[in-house]
Amino acid sequence: MAKQLLNAGSDVINKGVVSVEQQLRLERFLTYEAALMDEHEYDRWMELWIGDDITYWVPCNSDDQDPNAGVAIIYDDRPRLLERMMRLKDKAAHAFRPRARLIRNVSGVVPLSAKGEELEVVSSFSLGEIRTGTENIWFGKCHYVLVDTSEGFRIQWKKVMLLNNDEAMPNLTFLV
Amino acid sequence: MSTTKSNIIGTDRDYGSLVKEDRVHSSIFTDESVFEDEMERIFHKTWLFALHESEVPKKGDFKLLKLGRFPVIAVRDENEEVQLMINRCRHRGAQVCEATQGNAKSFQCWYHGWTYNTKGDLVGVTGEEAYDKTFDAKEHGLTKVARVGNYRGFIFASHSKEGQSLDDYLGPAKKFIDILIDASPTSEIEVKPGVVTKTMYRGNWKQIGMDGYHPHYVHVSVFKIFSKRESTTGSAVGAIHLEDPFSDSSPSLTRGFPNGHAALDFRFQRLPHAKDNIEELQRSEDGRKYVEDMISRYGKEHAEELIAWHGDPHLGVFPNLQLIHDHIRVVIPISPSETQVLMYPVFLKGVGQEINNKRLRAHEAFYGPASNGSPDDAEIFERVQRGLEGDANPWIQLGRGMNREETDSDGTVSARISDEITQRAQMQEWKRLMTE
Repeated sequence: MAKQLLNAGSDVINKGVVSVEQQLRLERFLTYEAALMDEHEYDRWMELWIGDDITYWVPCNSDDQDPNAGVAIIYDDRPRLLERMMRLKDKAAHAFRPRARLIRNVSGVVPLSAKGEELEVVSSFSLGEIRTGTENIWFGKCHYVLVDTSEGFRIQWKKVMLLNNDEAMPNLTFLV
Repeated sequence: MSTTKSNIIGTDRDYGSLVKEDRVHSSIFTDESVFEDEMERIFHKTWLFALHESEVPKKGDFKLLKLGRFPVIAVRDENEEVQLMINRCRHRGAQVCEATQGNAKSFQCWYHGWTYNTKGDLVGVTGEEAYDKTFDAKEHGLTKVARVGNYRGFIFASHSKEGQSLDDYLGPAKKFIDILIDASPTSEIEVKPGVVTKTMYRGNWKQIGMDGYHPHYVHVSVFKIFSKRESTTGSAVGAIHLEDPFSDSSPSLTRGFPNGHAALDFRFQRLPHAKDNIEELQRSEDGRKYVEDMISRYGKEHAEELIAWHGDPHLGVFPNLQLIHDHIRVVIPISPSETQVLMYPVFLKGVGQEINNKRLRAHEAFYGPASNGSPDDAEIFERVQRGLEGDANPWIQLGRGMNREETDSDGTVSARISDEITQRAQMQEWKRLMTE
């Protein structure tokens, strides 16, 4: 999350906007989210989203291309995300069968702001994918708006900036 | 440039025997030497789509392309003409431009500093005194692509100095290109620089084309989603209603044109739904204005046709251009078993933002590496490639619907939507060029 971190103030970098305990909870949550995505646990991943007004955004061509002026790889509200889930679970969605084997490492988890129950967090990941005899390596940066609820963190807004978002890309056969 | 090279590496293979009327031999999808010959005999010879002129709107705007094996700079020069030049310094051959797009007054080679203007003229040679009077800078400009043609903003290029005119090459396919352009009430479309969905698949470039037979199987998961909706409004598959456009009992047709072009011709299937489309549009302010502006530009009858057709010609122009739904698609062969597919969403000019936003979301829903549609196409192309690697019973069947073809008055051939007219048209042009 180079850009957000470069622009962050010293309160974010030196002091930190959450407690150490809260930081560890956050890291556990993002690692858990990664595990659900790695194992294609679509329903359980979907339960992590909160509210009707959600955005799941994977920009295309650059990290900040405006989805109203340009195209996105994914730009889902809740209805579109629910249709995506329906398809991912369908045995006839050929690109997802057989399913990819995945491992991703989440790191660089830095909260940028904390206002009440709402937290803005950045992280990065590297991911190894094996499917039909082909190995792919993927890298990305994530930017979240999370809500801290009695049941744990929940996702309201998530943007994933793939390193190769302006390259000719093979099928993205998993959640990012 | 192409003719001499093909004499050097050309094979003696009898391509005529590999392409029959109703089947083709699978080696043409897998063999490296066939691919080499395709580059020389097809991609370095016939007309290729290069770019839409709106991608380089201002003087100095440029974009890099790959046309066959040639790296090409497309740049709008100081006289507002779009120049297509080989991106290769005339001194030692380095690329003179590395940025994939941008604006430039000149292109400087950073090997030894030679500089070219936007017309390609050599305007700066470092240490010029070391060359005697026989060195003429005028003879060392960037090499121009041999022929450039423009059909209503679509710029095509050919690496061969001789051959059919672009007008003849496109022939009756031109009126299908018009379906896209005239979806704009000002007859203007825009392709924004750098706004493009880029995908690749590990399969041959000839796999991706017009096929009206596959949707019920390849895209079955998408049809299930649509069946849960009340209407397919705004969807990118077929039209705006629930009638299946891929049924052989529907008025949808496959159509083959001269020179290898082919279309899934949904015009007759969509036309009866014009009234519903207009009703749908009239629910919003941008939609109402669109209908009004279309009628005042094209007259009621043609405006209704154009609205029903959705600006979707579903046309393949051999060998590298496809106009499908909301986008311009460019097919780039990398090797016999790797292909890049660039999909440029088309923005209509003279319409409210809501219309273009809806087009963008429809494009994303079906096209791109994480969409509903193209990943399953890519997956199947890769399964085909893996299957074709073994040449057991090597003939691939393309004979579907040969018994029900009809020749139309414009010389095009049509049959039912699942028939393989489109593949036959493509392969006969492939054979013509490969054996010429």
